[in-house]
Amino acid sequence: MAWIGAFSRFKWPTVIVVALMACTGCKRETEGSAAKTPALTLGVYTTPREVYGRSILPAFRRHWHERSGRNVVFRESYLGSGAQARAIIAGFEADVALLSLEPDIEAIRDADLIRHDWKAGVHGGMVTRSVVVIGVREGNPKNIRTWQDLARPDVEVLTPNVRTSGGAMWNVLAIYGAAMRGQAGTPRGDRDAAIGLLASILKNVKIMDRGARDSMLTFERGIGDAVITYENEILVGRAEGKRYDYVVPSSTILIENPVAIIDAYVDRHGTRELAQALVEFLWTPEAQRFYAQHGLRPVIGSVASEVQAQFASVEDLFTIRDLGGWPEAQRLVFAEGGVYDRAIAGSREGSP
Amino acid sequence: MSAPSRALRPSRLEQILRSGIVLYVVLLVAVPLLGLFHFGVADGFVRFWEKITAPVALSALWLSMWTGVLVGILNTFLGTATAWALVRYPIPGRSWLSAAVDLPLAIPTLVAGLMLASLYGPTSLLGKSLRVWEIEIVFARPGIVLALLFVTLPFVVRAVAPLLAGIDPAEEEAAVVLGAGPWRTFRTVFVPAIMPAAISGGIRSLGRALGEFGSIVVIAGNIPFRTLTAPVFIFGEIESGAPRTAAAVSAVLLSFALALHAGARLLEQRTGARLAAG
Repeated sequence: MAWIGAFSRFKWPTVIVVALMACTGCKRETEGSAAKTPALTLGVYTTPREVYGRSILPAFRRHWHERSGRNVVFRESYLGSGAQARAIIAGFEADVALLSLEPDIEAIRDADLIRHDWKAGVHGGMVTRSVVVIGVREGNPKNIRTWQDLARPDVEVLTPNVRTSGGAMWNVLAIYGAAMRGQAGTPRGDRDAAIGLLASILKNVKIMDRGARDSMLTFERGIGDAVITYENEILVGRAEGKRYDYVVPSSTILIENPVAIIDAYVDRHGTRELAQALVEFLWTPEAQRFYAQHGLRPVIGSVASEVQAQFASVEDLFTIRDLGGWPEAQRLVFAEGGVYDRAIAGSREGSP
Repeated sequence: MSAPSRALRPSRLEQILRSGIVLYVVLLVAVPLLGLFHFGVADGFVRFWEKITAPVALSALWLSMWTGVLVGILNTFLGTATAWALVRYPIPGRSWLSAAVDLPLAIPTLVAGLMLASLYGPTSLLGKSLRVWEIEIVFARPGIVLALLFVTLPFVVRAVAPLLAGIDPAEEEAAVVLGAGPWRTFRTVFVPAIMPAAISGGIRSLGRALGEFGSIVVIAGNIPFRTLTAPVFIFGEIESGAPRTAAAVSAVLLSFALALHAGARLLEQRTGARLAAG
C-alpha cells in the first residue's frame, strides 16, 4: 500500500491549518456582504485601473456619503475587456460593467443580463474616449510619421493579439479605416490595398502580447521601434517619467469606452440606486476631469474644452460608425476569413 | 498490490479506500478529459475537422509538436547526463546544484519566461552580441525550445538520478573485473537500469512542453505562422469567444500526447525484453 505511505508523509497539521485558513477566509467574505455597508461590485477592463482605484471611486464614496449619509464599499475586478464580459456572463455578479468595447457590453446584454437600452443616454453609454496612436523611441529616430511608415522593412512594430485584446482590435480598425479613407497612402475605398498595408505592418510585428498594457511593458523593456496603442497608455507612461515619444497619425479612430448597469445583478443585490448614482457620477465634470488627468479624453463638452491643450488634435478623426458600426466591423474585419485573417495570411508570404 | 501476498482477503475498509481512489482519479482526470473531447466535437466531426485544419491552427499544432518532441529527445539525453554528473561526480556544492535542478518547477513559468526574455532579449548584453552574429533566440523559435528545456529540466533528471544512485557498485565492479571497457560497462550495467526511466522522463517533459503556456507567451512573440504555439493559440480562441475551437485543438494535443505515451510504453517493454534476453 504505497499510497498510504505517501499520505502519512503528508503533513496533516499543515493541511488542517490551510483548511482552517480557507474557512475563516470564506466566513469573512460572507460577513462582509451581509454587513450594513452596501457593496457595489464593478467589472472593469485593465487600462483605467488607476483612475478608478485612486481617483474616481474615492471621490464617489465621499460624494455618496454627503448625499445619503451612508458609506459604500467597492469590490473591483480588473480583467481584459473580453474576459471580463465572459466572467460576468458566467456568473461574476458585477453591478456595473466598465469595458473597453461596445461588443463586450452587447454580449452581456445578449445573455439577458442587461435589460434596458444602455445606449439611450446623452453620451450613448460612453464614459471615456481615446485615440489610437503610435508610440516611438525618444526623438523618433526612425522618423515614423504615418501608418505607412510602420510598413517599412526596417521598423519593428508591437501590437497585441486581436484574439485577446480589445486594444488590438482598435489598432487594426485604425489602420484599416485610415487606409479605406484614402489617408494612409492607399487609394480611397480600395480594400485589397488596405489589406496589403495591414499585411505589411503585421509582417513587422515581432511580438503579439496578450493585452495593450503587456504590449506597452514590452516596449518599455526596449523592444521594438514603435508600439500601436491607446493614447492614454502613452500619456500615463510619460506622466510617470517614461522616456518615449508618440505620433498621432493624421487619420485615426476615436475609441469610445462604454459603461452599463447590469440589471439582473443590481436587482438581485438591491443596489440599483447606488449603481445608478455611480454611473451618473461618471458623467459629472469632476469625474471627467479625473479621466483627463489619466490621459483619457472626456466625453462632456465643457471638460473637453478645458483640457483641450492636453490632447493632440487629429486631422481626420473617424469613429466605428464610419466603418458601419461594431457588428459590421466585426463581420467584415474580425470574422473567419475577414480582413484580419487575410492580412495575417498575407504577412506570412516571404517571411522566414 | 501487497494484499494478496498477505494471503488475506482485503478488509472492508481497504475495499472502500480502493474504490474511493479509483473514483478520485476518474472524477479528477477522466471525466474532464472526456468532457473536453465531447465539447470539441459537439458541433459535429466536419466542423471539428475544419477547426483543426484551419491554417493558423495547423501551424500552431505543428510548432508545438515538433518543439515538444525535440525537447523530449534533448531532455532524455541531457537529463540523463545531468543525473549522471550529479550522482557520480564529486562536484563541489553538489546538493545545491541538485536543488537548482528542481527550481524550474517551483517558480511560475511566466516569471521564467520573463527572465529568459530579458536575459537573451535584444536589449541585453547577451542579446546584443547574439544579434551581431544574426542569431535570434527570443521572439523566435529557438526561444521556444530554450524556455521548454528550462521548464522541463527536472523530469528526466529526477527520474534517472535515484536509479543511478541505487545501482549496486558490485555489478559495475564485476563488469570491470570481467574485462568490460567503460562504454560496455555503461551499456550493460547502467543502460538497462535507467533506460525506462529516461524514456518516461522524456515523455513526461514532452507532455509538459505540449501544454506549456506561461513562459512561451512572453518569450515566443506569438505571431501566427511564425511563433504561435498551440497553447497560446488555444488561449486566444478562448479569449475571443471560440471555446469549441480551443477544445478541438486541445483534443488533438491530448491525443498526440496519449499516442506518444502508448508508443513509449511499447518501446520500454521491447527494450526491456531485449535487454533481459540479451
